[in-house]
Amino acid sequence: MHGASYIYQQIFNGIVLGSIYALLALGMALIYGILGLINFAHGALITIGAFCFYFLLFKFNLPFVLAIILTISLGGFVGFILEAIGYRKLRGGPGLSLLITSLGIYIFIENAIKLLISPQPFAFFNPPFLDRMIDGFITFRVIDIFIIVTTIVIMICFGLFVKWNKIGMAMRGIAESVETAGLVGINVNQVITWSFVVASAIAALTGFMWGAKYGQISYDMGFMPGVIAFVAVVIGGIGSIPGAVLGGFLIGLIQIFTVGFLPLGWSVYRDAIVFALLIIVLLIKPMGIMGRRESM
Amino acid sequence: MIKVKYLNKPNTFAGTWIPFGIGLGFLFIVLEIFSLVLDNYILHIITVIGIYIIAATSLNLTNGYTGLFSLGHTGFMAIGAYTSVLLTYKVSLRAAYNLPSLPTLLGGANYQWPFLPALLMGGVIAAIMAIIIGYPVLRLKGHYLAVASLGFMIIVTTVAKGMKSFTRGASGIQVIPHYSNLWNVYICVAITVFVLWRILQSAPGRAMLAIRESEVSAQSQGINLMKYKLYAFVGGAFFAGIAGGLYAHFTRSIRPYEFSFSMTFFIVIMPIIGGSRNLFGPALGASLLIAMRYLLKPAEEALGVYGLVELIYAALLVSVMIWRPGGILGKEFRVK
Amino acid sequence: MLLKIEKIEICYGIIPAVRNLSLEVEEGQIVALVGANGAGKSTTLKALAGVLHPRVGKIFYNDKDITDLSAYRRVPLGIALVPEGRQLFSTLSVKENLRLGAYHSNDKEFKERLKEIYSIFPIIKERENQIAGTLSGGEQQMLSFGRAIISKPKLLLLDEPSLGLAPLIIKEVYKTINTIKMTGITIVLVEQNVKTAMHIANYMYVLEAGELTIQGEPLKLMKDENIKKAYLG
Repeated sequence: MHGASYIYQQIFNGIVLGSIYALLALGMALIYGILGLINFAHGALITIGAFCFYFLLFKFNLPFVLAIILTISLGGFVGFILEAIGYRKLRGGPGLSLLITSLGIYIFIENAIKLLISPQPFAFFNPPFLDRMIDGFITFRVIDIFIIVTTIVIMICFGLFVKWNKIGMAMRGIAESVETAGLVGINVNQVITWSFVVASAIAALTGFMWGAKYGQISYDMGFMPGVIAFVAVVIGGIGSIPGAVLGGFLIGLIQIFTVGFLPLGWSVYRDAIVFALLIIVLLIKPMGIMGRRESM
Repeated sequence: MIKVKYLNKPNTFAGTWIPFGIGLGFLFIVLEIFSLVLDNYILHIITVIGIYIIAATSLNLTNGYTGLFSLGHTGFMAIGAYTSVLLTYKVSLRAAYNLPSLPTLLGGANYQWPFLPALLMGGVIAAIMAIIIGYPVLRLKGHYLAVASLGFMIIVTTVAKGMKSFTRGASGIQVIPHYSNLWNVYICVAITVFVLWRILQSAPGRAMLAIRESEVSAQSQGINLMKYKLYAFVGGAFFAGIAGGLYAHFTRSIRPYEFSFSMTFFIVIMPIIGGSRNLFGPALGASLLIAMRYLLKPAEEALGVYGLVELIYAALLVSVMIWRPGGILGKEFRVK
Repeated sequence: MLLKIEKIEICYGIIPAVRNLSLEVEEGQIVALVGANGAGKSTTLKALAGVLHPRVGKIFYNDKDITDLSAYRRVPLGIALVPEGRQLFSTLSVKENLRLGAYHSNDKEFKERLKEIYSIFPIIKERENQIAGTLSGGEQQMLSFGRAIISKPKLLLLDEPSLGLAPLIIKEVYKTINTIKMTGITIVLVEQNVKTAMHIANYMYVLEAGELTIQGEPLKLMKDENIKKAYLG
């Protein structure tokens, strides 16, 4: 039987993984709310962020903080490009076109990285201060705390921004009606672009987190987390950003629990269980746990 | 042309079977010429193209003609593949490869199924799974359907990886009897195209097209959405299962990871690039993409530029989506 | 001349909704566009707001050609629209709706403007933090007005302000319109109810099937026998 410390350890690990998923789900939900688009390419930004940080820190030996800032900036920049070149043209069209295009963009970026950098995974070494292990009731590394704290900070900032800042309000307004937003004088294109930039920057940051946590990065590392982020959005509730965040934490916990509590042979199912959960939630509560109105 | 004359009267006996007969005859002549003239490597490629034509055309029934964007097609292919392989696997090799013998109900320990029944069974099991998974998943709209069907595919491949006692897990199954060849693959191609053609001419087919244009209008015309969506989904799944079986018995080795996202993407873009509103669009897409693959993969190896082929595919897809959404055989229409 | 429309044609797809329309609005006036359903009144207003763009013709605002200017760019110029059916952000609060109406103002300016709006519409102040979708029809109309005038427009476009409202509320709405007019804002009003429009407008344009048929001051038009029969029953 598992002792108390083991259970708390699993919960802690679940929250760490859940934090990464929650950040991804946040960006995904933002873009989905504003554009009605599942951005499959979101996952590609994870990979871009991871490799960017890797090169900045290990090849160019930049200080940690600078590397983080540049990684986030690159993420935002890539998001900007994607929106301006890829998605803006297709905005008025059938929803599926955007979906298919975002899929194509993901595959393009994934293979561009495979081609230009390497088809082999890279080992990702952390700056020593992140790797420091802390033993106690539960065991964790500083990186875990970094992930959780960063997530909380970003969530709070974002929540405040969306509630009190006029651009945040504009995002909510656009999510409800693009036409009305234009009527009252909001520069809709500009707000959409900023949303993309912010969401992509956050995704790039999670790339670093993922690499730091798992010690390995590869050209295809972004696919699963990207799709799981969308599952989190759906499970948490369409049209609800807090719901998406909740979904992210939930999935993180479920995945860790699958590996931690079920017999060994079951760990291979950690991804499949997420999708089984998706199908079940969609059967029982098609709008998700905190879902409001029906989108699309 | 005679064909055209009869194509205009599709629901008569002559209108159905004469074009089919002509097409089939034409196909046989071409195949015969190919098998005499071309070398084995090219014939190998042509057979592979045939298998993917079945996969892409059946996918187009769901995605292109009914407008349900499913990313789960390779899940059904995997089901068809594993079913067919487990039924036909040579008895004497089963123990050596840790594969289970057939239960008495299915023929007993000393039995291995002949090819055709096993192949059909693969399609049938895939179709049954499609009915089961269809009910929850087909109620969803666009994006959710895409992710849920993707989830189904991931579940299938994960189960294939996990149930080691049946499927040998991630190592997959090798030394599969080599039953597929140029001829039986293309007979299946002909049948698939014919069946799909007939479906599209019929009332269910028209219902599917109506659903694609607008679900709301279709409903108000009294069309039972779930029934016809299932029809398309299950039909697509059946032929995906067949394609999977043919694939397994041609490549002689299958692994769960082969059926995952790469292949999904590969098959999904074939109708889009070739033309999703045309019966032969997926075939064109399949031929084009596979030819490209066989041409460029060696270059990839030689130059060490891994990922080039998929990169080109993705670039092709995005270009088509932006500039010619109807695909190569589609009418050019501009969005907005 | 604050507003000048020259021979515009507006199409929905290939179908022309408004044809060969010219009209003028002087500063400080209330001009009414009246006509039956589908006559093209709302379409014209939307072209003024920038939601639609005419295929042919020009629109001049303060002598500036704004024909192809996007909607969001017209607000800082002083043009504001109260859309048909209010079109509020129903999931946002009253205050947030107002904040977005004053999108181009910074937070300090917004605070001041907010006070002014609250003085004109005291009911809204009470419901400051309520979600806009939960307000009554009349309150929503007030909020829609507030959201439009908080940007301190020079030209206010009202699209069927009485639509879907009870007669008593309509009276209130028109009282408010009058108050707004007193502040010097120029108003272009689209109304199906000709009688109501006649009481408040300085000048009227009558549209029929997308074209201008009659125009003139309300008093003069009231005396016209044809109009009486067609519109005043």
